[in-house]
Amino acid sequence: MDSLGLEILIGTLKIFSFVVPVLVSVALLVYLERKVLGAVQLRKGPNVVGPFGILQSFADVIKLITKENLLPSSSNKFLFIFAPMLTLLLSLIAWAVIPVSSTYVISNINIGILYLFAVSSFGVYGVILAGWASNSKYPFLGALRSAAQMISYEVSIGFVIITVLICVGSLNLIDIVESQKNLWFAIPLLPMFVVFIISVLAETNRLPFDLPEDEATLVAGFFTEYSSISFGLFFLAEYANMILMSSLTVILFLGGWYPPMDIFPLNAIPGIIWFGLKVFLILFVFLWVRATFPRYRYDQLMRLGWKIFLPLTLIWVVITSSFLFYFGLLPN
Amino acid sequence: MFLLGTFYLFASFLVMTCISVIFSKNPVNSVLFLVLAFLNSTFLFILIGAEFVGIILAIVYIGAVAILFLFVVMMLDIQITSLMFNIKRYVPLAILFSSIILAEIIYLTVYKTAKSQKDIIVRSENNTEQIGNVLYTDYFIDFQLSGIVLLLAMIGAIVLTHVYRPTIKRQNINKQNMTFAKDRVELMKPKSGEGINSDD
Repeated sequence: MDSLGLEILIGTLKIFSFVVPVLVSVALLVYLERKVLGAVQLRKGPNVVGPFGILQSFADVIKLITKENLLPSSSNKFLFIFAPMLTLLLSLIAWAVIPVSSTYVISNINIGILYLFAVSSFGVYGVILAGWASNSKYPFLGALRSAAQMISYEVSIGFVIITVLICVGSLNLIDIVESQKNLWFAIPLLPMFVVFIISVLAETNRLPFDLPEDEATLVAGFFTEYSSISFGLFFLAEYANMILMSSLTVILFLGGWYPPMDIFPLNAIPGIIWFGLKVFLILFVFLWVRATFPRYRYDQLMRLGWKIFLPLTLIWVVITSSFLFYFGLLPN
Repeated sequence: MFLLGTFYLFASFLVMTCISVIFSKNPVNSVLFLVLAFLNSTFLFILIGAEFVGIILAIVYIGAVAILFLFVVMMLDIQITSLMFNIKRYVPLAILFSSIILAEIIYLTVYKTAKSQKDIIVRSENNTEQIGNVLYTDYFIDFQLSGIVLLLAMIGAIVLTHVYRPTIKRQNINKQNMTFAKDRVELMKPKSGEGINSDD
């Protein structure tokens, strides 16, 4: 019984060693976003709370928690409260299979990439339930938009993942990273890398694809009726999802914990720091895109997903597999 | 013991959610219970070590099919009372179909188990590879045929719903990209007091 108790204790500590850094980096990411947007627009950004304003997001969280939580009288109470919880839960449980270095992962399962794909495809339930349970026009429209948008872009994400899997020959995330030791997949599969980053922007409802919460037409989209901490949970989940999808991009295309070149000063740095740096790079691209591009119109979004990305990724699956087959490079 | 306990936990949840799918008065709740039923069957698959089948079930049914159900059901304006009146009409049909399915399950569990277990040759440790090997060698034709059937169903659905109306103004993106400013606007220098003659 003692060994079981110890195992549970170690497991819990391991889970906390992932969840706590993720939540802290969410706070820092919100701060970073405001600083980057400020720099792009020639402003200072937050600079009052704490040194360089770094405690701004913690102050925001305290403000959100202490506000009154409103429940619309005509809403479906259970689903209204459940939806933000589900969204945050899904963005955190996915970390169970993310390997941040060659040995440090909570659960090293055979089908890690499928698990991640499944969890990210459940994400749409939080949005659609929030929109429906609010029993109000704008949230409902936002929910319908997001359901269609997320399903459309999942298709191209799926094909991009298949292209990578053909090159690796395994569904295990550690195997995927280890097969990139000499050459990151971002180089031979550059078009797929670009498609993946754009699809991830759409999947996480970030600008320029943030149509579910399009404030110019839908007030605030699916979380119009939310206030206080239930809004805070959606906010937290959106940024946690950004970090998660950036880590997935790093694992699939940027060689995970491997340094760019296997030479002395670079390979002396521990893998977990390389992983963090690469995730930071992708997150910066997210913020950069937000500061640069205007929002897509809804039909343009659908056209990009179905008429451009779907054929492109399908053809790339065929090209990659034919190339590997012809030159005898297929794994196993 | 732990495994058996978990099995009964998920199996009883599965039965309860299935019953709730049928007896929920609100169709949206029905779909949500259906999602829970799929989730519980995923857990059952993972419990017997078929993690690939389990996760694929979750991705396809929860991640895509059930969302589309929810999408449609949320937009329907269903009168709950009218649904409850009609339900008795379907009882004989329901009994017929469920007894056919029950007979199939009994036939499979009683007569087929021994034979099918002999057929499966374990080629590798990983059940993803195992399924891939079986699908693309022994059942290659059936697998491709089922793909063609699905493709035909999709094309059929599109053909049935797609109506081309020539009166609607459409956006032709190629045409838009091929036009230049000089095709659309012209710089004029009107003389004072004369203006521009629109007939030119």
